[in-house]
Amino acid sequence: MKFSRAKFCGGNEKRMEELTAWLMATPAIFGLVIFIGLPFCLAVIFSLTTLKLDSPLPVEFCGIEQFQRIFADRGFRQALLNNTIFAAVVVPLQTMAALALALLLNRPLRGMIIFRTIFFMPVIFPMALIAIVFELIFAPGPNGLLNGFLIFLSNGHWQPLDFLHNPHTSLAAIMTLSIWQGVGFQMIVMLAGLQAIPVSLYEAAAMDGAGRWQRFVHITLPQMRNTIIFVALVTTILAFRLFDQVWILTQGGPNRATTTVMFETVRAIFKRQDVARGAAMSVIFFMIVLTITILQRWLAKEKREIE
Amino acid sequence: MKSWMFFTVGVVLCWLLAGCEGEKPLESTRTTIDVWFHTGQPAEKAVIEDQVERFNRRQDRIYIKLTLIPEGDYNTQVQAAATDNKMPDLLDLDGPYLYNYAWKGHLLPLDNLVSPRIMAELLPSILAQGTYRGRLYSIGTFDSGLGLFGNGKKLRAVGARIPSSPDEAWSIAEFNKMLSELSRVDEDGMVLDLRMDYRGEWYTYAFSPAVQSGGGDLINRNDYQSSDGILNGPEAKAVLGHFQSWFKKKYIDANTDAASFTTNRVALSWCGHWEYPRYKKALGDDLLVLPLPDFGEGAKTGMGSWSWAITSKCRNPELAMEFLEFLLEPAEVIAMVNANGAVPATRTAISLSPLYKPGAPLNLFARQLEENAVPRPRTPAYPIITSVFQQAFQDIRYGADITETLDRAVKIIDQDIRDNHGYPDIGRAAKDRQGQ
Repeated sequence: MKFSRAKFCGGNEKRMEELTAWLMATPAIFGLVIFIGLPFCLAVIFSLTTLKLDSPLPVEFCGIEQFQRIFADRGFRQALLNNTIFAAVVVPLQTMAALALALLLNRPLRGMIIFRTIFFMPVIFPMALIAIVFELIFAPGPNGLLNGFLIFLSNGHWQPLDFLHNPHTSLAAIMTLSIWQGVGFQMIVMLAGLQAIPVSLYEAAAMDGAGRWQRFVHITLPQMRNTIIFVALVTTILAFRLFDQVWILTQGGPNRATTTVMFETVRAIFKRQDVARGAAMSVIFFMIVLTITILQRWLAKEKREIE
Repeated sequence: MKSWMFFTVGVVLCWLLAGCEGEKPLESTRTTIDVWFHTGQPAEKAVIEDQVERFNRRQDRIYIKLTLIPEGDYNTQVQAAATDNKMPDLLDLDGPYLYNYAWKGHLLPLDNLVSPRIMAELLPSILAQGTYRGRLYSIGTFDSGLGLFGNGKKLRAVGARIPSSPDEAWSIAEFNKMLSELSRVDEDGMVLDLRMDYRGEWYTYAFSPAVQSGGGDLINRNDYQSSDGILNGPEAKAVLGHFQSWFKKKYIDANTDAASFTTNRVALSWCGHWEYPRYKKALGDDLLVLPLPDFGEGAKTGMGSWSWAITSKCRNPELAMEFLEFLLEPAEVIAMVNANGAVPATRTAISLSPLYKPGAPLNLFARQLEENAVPRPRTPAYPIITSVFQQAFQDIRYGADITETLDRAVKIIDQDIRDNHGYPDIGRAAKDRQGQ
């Protein structure tokens, strides 16, 4: 590539190349504008009005009132907090679990493909199905799967809990099933990262007498840096998008212990017919995701500069 | 190459045209009426399909085109169709959502379309729920019944008095005492089933009558402009305080398996007519059908179910009404309620129904609809009111502070009404009411 560019890099050629690049990018840019840019601009506009779902009343401009109302609403603040707690717990746990699984499954063993498939399977299942399965696992009373298991482990000393409807355990229960469902996808990304590390590095390290742990810390981790950052970023965004499990299992309850920004947004629009309020919430949601993305770009860029 | 393409296009066109020609010949010579119906219970679906088929066969001017939409998504679908101006001619709506559609101008008033003979036949509860700001917008072919189902053996074991009519209902003090006695002799202490396995509209349908029985309500019904002092007044707080205390004392079975009553775990189930067949099968002669307790101002109960409305998009309202009147004939009402167990909407049908006629096991539900059933608030703000009440009830169930919860609920409701300028008569809905 470098060679050919050096040879043909005339001014005309370069402009042609640029033009081709733009031409090639057009469909993607078009899609971005239509499906991301336009809806976002509309959301910003809606959020500054009193727009209701299918209302015969005229729409009025109301400035930043929707935002003031949202931030004054304890439910929304709780939703933001829940999302943050969820991300703070799930992102590190799920990323570490994915890396551990990937390391475990990155061995030239016979039948490894079967294990990989099994661990990836939950990703393909629809969340509705997983939620129903976990509803049975978390069922209250001594007959619930998890309660029964804990009673067995504790020799009958465990007091059965209603995991999904106890304010102290409901968010943890949602986290558990989310990690179980999501870890497979992250694992696959990690696996790809692991397999891109040149074997020669490990061979050289082994020759220098580096142990397993040293090889992991000094070769695997630095080589996986970008992959790990990417996985953490995607997990964070998904953590803020948390919705399906909550909608199906807890409806945000008990006492808002599991409400999320997405859940509040959907409720605002479809239950309360308040499109403007929902739009304002999604603008805030977008800002959060944007900040996280910029942060990640910045972190990844630092790395490239060191190289 | 070119001729080959023409040939293909020609074949496809012919095929398409033939397809159109092959459609049911009924449609071409008759006026088509688009009808939407929700599908929940399979038996209900079979009845409506049969009714449509018989109606299409017995006359030759109207062709009823039936579309079935799953119950879970029904309201969203209708709302989407309304926003998109793609409503059918005739559709059934889930109870109190009606007023919101009527306010938005999506429905036609029916009072000038329906024959006086049918009007005189309808239960007062059906007329009450179908009316918004003085005009009738919907007619149900059946209504619902809400009460307490009792396990006779368990109740008699603690010597409970068995009320047989709404005015004999247990007072709340009597009810609380009975719960504690039942709980003392019960294996796990959980003696009351509030159907906590249901969600959504159930909370408002089932528990707002209790609030009304205590003297509170969801909103001030004089002008429907505010809930302040009504939903967060001392009466409503006291009623919801009773509910919270039942949860705290662990009287309530969470009922995740929907079998707490049928497997004899609880003595009482706060539930609707639709569970009668299953409960009867499980308990036999031990099953009692009882009124809800009286929280102070006389026992109240819920009403309302799916009801039919003609949309403002309909170009032949008289024809849509002809089908609706067919559905209201005693035999057709009976056919439907035999399938879903609901209370027949006409007096003749009630007198013919083996479940609801005087002396029959569910006659209490028919009586309640004439005596002490309260319609849910007849206001376009209903979708907001119900969503807020559902949330508040859930919060209170899990121990939230009642005053704080209800104050917040009132704030949201009042703000919505203010945002909508008090839901004034506007657009075509206003014109309909002026033309009255």
